[in-house]
Amino acid sequence: MASAAITSWDRQRRRAFFWGLFPALAVLAVITVAPAVYLVVTSLTPLNLTNPVQTGLDFSDPLRNYREAIADYRFRNSVWVQVKLSLATVVAQVLIGLGLALLLNARSKLLEAIRTAFLIPMVLPPIVVALIWKIIYSPDVSPMHRLLEFVGFPVRSLITQADTALWAIAVADTWEWFPFTMLIILASLQMVPDEPLEAAKIDGATSYQSFWYVVLPYIQPAIIVAALFRLIDSVKAFPLIYVLTNGGPGQVTEVTNYFAFVQAFNFSYWGYASAIATMLVAGVFLLSWLLRRLDQAGQRDE
Amino acid sequence: MSTIWRMSRRSLLGSTAALGSTLILPGKAPAQGGAKPFAGTTLNISSWSAPYAKWLQEYLPEFTELTGIEVNYDTPGFAVYNQQVDLELSTGGSAYDVANITFIYTSRWIGAGWFTPLDDFYNDPNKTPDEFDAADFLNGTQLPMRDAEGRTYGFSWVADAMHAGASRFDIMEEAGFGMPKSFDELMAMVPEIHKVKGVSAFTAENHHGWIFPPIMQAFGGNVFVDPPHNIMPALDTPEVHEASRWYVDLQNNYGPDGWLAQTYDQTVNVLKQGRANYCLFNQPFLMQMGAPDSKTKETCAFAMYPEGPKGKFPGLAVHGWGIPTGARNKDASWEFIKWAVGKDLMMRMLEEKGYGAVTRRSVIESPKFKEVNMVNGYDVGDIYLRTIGLAEQGHMAYRTVHVYPQANAQINKAIEMIASGQATPEEAWRQAQENAIADIRRAGVDL
Amino acid sequence: MSSAIERAKSGTGAVPRPLQVSPEARRRRLLNWLAVAILLFVMIPFFWMVQMSFRPNDDIFGYELLFSPTVEHYTALWHGNFPTSFLNSVLSSGISTILALIVGTPAAYSLARWEFRGKEQVGLWILATRMAPPIAFTIPFFLAYRYLGLSDTILGLVLIYLTFNLALVIWMMQTFFATVPKSLEEAAWIDGCSVWGAFLRITLPLTAPGLAATAVLCFIFSWNDFFYALILTRTNAQTAPVAIVNFIQYEGYEWGKIAAGGTLVMMPVVVFTMLVRTYLVRGLTAGGIKD
Repeated sequence: MASAAITSWDRQRRRAFFWGLFPALAVLAVITVAPAVYLVVTSLTPLNLTNPVQTGLDFSDPLRNYREAIADYRFRNSVWVQVKLSLATVVAQVLIGLGLALLLNARSKLLEAIRTAFLIPMVLPPIVVALIWKIIYSPDVSPMHRLLEFVGFPVRSLITQADTALWAIAVADTWEWFPFTMLIILASLQMVPDEPLEAAKIDGATSYQSFWYVVLPYIQPAIIVAALFRLIDSVKAFPLIYVLTNGGPGQVTEVTNYFAFVQAFNFSYWGYASAIATMLVAGVFLLSWLLRRLDQAGQRDE
Repeated sequence: MSTIWRMSRRSLLGSTAALGSTLILPGKAPAQGGAKPFAGTTLNISSWSAPYAKWLQEYLPEFTELTGIEVNYDTPGFAVYNQQVDLELSTGGSAYDVANITFIYTSRWIGAGWFTPLDDFYNDPNKTPDEFDAADFLNGTQLPMRDAEGRTYGFSWVADAMHAGASRFDIMEEAGFGMPKSFDELMAMVPEIHKVKGVSAFTAENHHGWIFPPIMQAFGGNVFVDPPHNIMPALDTPEVHEASRWYVDLQNNYGPDGWLAQTYDQTVNVLKQGRANYCLFNQPFLMQMGAPDSKTKETCAFAMYPEGPKGKFPGLAVHGWGIPTGARNKDASWEFIKWAVGKDLMMRMLEEKGYGAVTRRSVIESPKFKEVNMVNGYDVGDIYLRTIGLAEQGHMAYRTVHVYPQANAQINKAIEMIASGQATPEEAWRQAQENAIADIRRAGVDL
Repeated sequence: MSSAIERAKSGTGAVPRPLQVSPEARRRRLLNWLAVAILLFVMIPFFWMVQMSFRPNDDIFGYELLFSPTVEHYTALWHGNFPTSFLNSVLSSGISTILALIVGTPAAYSLARWEFRGKEQVGLWILATRMAPPIAFTIPFFLAYRYLGLSDTILGLVLIYLTFNLALVIWMMQTFFATVPKSLEEAAWIDGCSVWGAFLRITLPLTAPGLAATAVLCFIFSWNDFFYALILTRTNAQTAPVAIVNFIQYEGYEWGKIAAGGTLVMMPVVVFTMLVRTYLVRGLTAGGIKD
């Protein structure tokens, strides 16, 4: 084959690839970059839709929304609620996911079927998950409340009490997302090579020791990646809170995402809500950057 | 070009035909004469899910048959409805052709020019037959629908008056109690009847911004310093602290489990199932205890709202249909309003659904009114009219202040905080007061 | 846990003959039972909703396991507004999926085959759209749609679903295209195929299963959306997830109908998931980790 032909093929391909890529990137720019720019610009104004032109271009005090947010008790509270919810759910999901992955990590038709069934909570529409838990947490229809009353431990409604509401949401969120951590850890477990394990056994290691010293280091990157993914996505928590508590009682379950939603769509404080959303995006991107760094480090180790 | 011309010619013909029919059949609605000038139009109509609004859905096919207008009808919950419509109106959107003007938003929505003045519609004999009779509406229910210049923006479909009701009056009687006349009598009764036969003693919906202000006023407090003249919030006062302590104590100890999450729909169910007993609630909701599918229709009782230390201030709200400024086909929208609050339909709703919270004098004065409003031997119609009469005290002035929605949100939060033990009344109301002032200022009001 | 390791190592799962039950096999069997028990326990909330949807109204608070099932809640839904919102869901998810595939597949192919400066940045960009919280998109989209007249329209939903669907298609398909040897396309080119001709005739058919899986994932993710539809629709384009929440509010807590609505909305997703379960993780972590 003539090299000239290959060169012309390459050139033709490059041109073709450009036109293959360009429309998608153009669309992506319009629907993601433009809104992002608009969000940041709006966060610098006191935009009010009754007078959009004047207020939307009022940059006289660009950092006012950010200053107000930092001084706003509700905003700071929402960040703290978010931190508590995220940490609780991520830790629970990783531990449960890890335990189940270990339990299900073997080749059999039965376990294969169980693994598949465990996917259900994760793929259900989040709003259906919220409904399911609305049923579980409504004392008059809940099997949980009935059972507890039957065995002599009646409990009051969990989602209307300040000290249990957030944990009730954390339980529901964990139920929804443990299959995710379980899947990632399972995938990684299935790639643990046999040799080091056999060597450990020959050396007389107990199964606990071989888990701790051989398996865990091997699956550690997968655990971290799964945890970070959940951490990032936990910031998006919405349907559960919307359906179960509306951020209440008081502000006990009002996470930042929900707070921004209320500020924008209930009170029409567009500038203020945009500032909060901008900070939320910044936080999420920081976590994503961390995720990528860790993933790349993991790849180098291999 | 020619299409446009033909279109306008057709609509011109349509309106002459309608006019002709009015001339031939005086007293009939224009659209009833056979010509249906709006046939093929589709209207998007929404209201919050009050009993009237839900029943109206069953009558909609008749409207479509009458006018040829299709209706996309939607009745979300109260909070969701207000949030969606406020948002829609604030952006001048055209998603709604007819929308309910919620009581607490009347000043805000009408004052901002987000609704269409209806004077040109109901005063125009071509658009409105005499039998619509705008003067037939109770003056009190129409007042909030007018602006300072006296223009009318909506026609009311409910005078939502707060009464007292009991789902299991038999339990109260067995314990030696009648319907409490005062807050003190109520507090004395609840410990004796709580959890008797598994029924909670007290219940109310979780829209605290509606249930709590009457209690606040009964203890001598108010939402604003002197509405509508001085609209400085007055949430952090000893009277309000005391009122909230009283109310939270009542609910936490004698209300059903999970009362903070109990919406008005759930409250209606709780009453119909007889799972909670004494209730302070709107008349149309309480009336549902007498419905055929209610388990408490034989045991329910009704009374006036009880008297607190400083008087009796039952809540009274008015809701009415209006046409948003952005609506695309206002003449068709008006056809709907005319029909939905027409004498004929209101009378039928009274007879067929037992809808007693009507706004037309002619319906209230009809013999049917008294008959339908006798529920389990109680003259609810009389309670209703006396409650409306109480409004002359002027205690509802707080509710139509244009920044009331902001205060309402703070009242909801404060009660939740106190009831869930996150804050003492002092802390919660101090915070509510600060936040209300900040929110009202953020809305551009100088306090 | 420890025994699980041994199991993982030996790779056994087959149950040995009952006559020669080793301690290891007995433990395995015990663990299998444990797994089944956990599964059943975890699924109670899910099954509870499904059984509620078949429970007659006057028995909705009952908890006897034996009851005469009814489809009254489903028929009630069928006669209400629910079918319209179901159709809206199908249309918005379906159209968005198709558009994402049409625009995204050539881009994914180009990214898989073309080494250029900035490729890394394009990858980062796609990752960023996967990670960004929806509220960040919702505010600008909501405001823009007011002026473009796109609020409460199917097209409006289709566009906003593209924000995640397009990124997903580009990411997923890129990994599938990478597995097709370049030499096949070279041969086709020599036979007179154009670059895109070779793509359509050779590469795309080879990655058809991947394409199908990607399409299903796009569909599921759009179908599951609640937040965007809640804010960007009112009546005309309301989707099924928003419709069920609405009738929590306006049907007065009719648990039977709520449960039936929930069951209907989740059905397609559960069925589709069974089809694409092996690709699920890849879809959920698109852009975040290398396969």
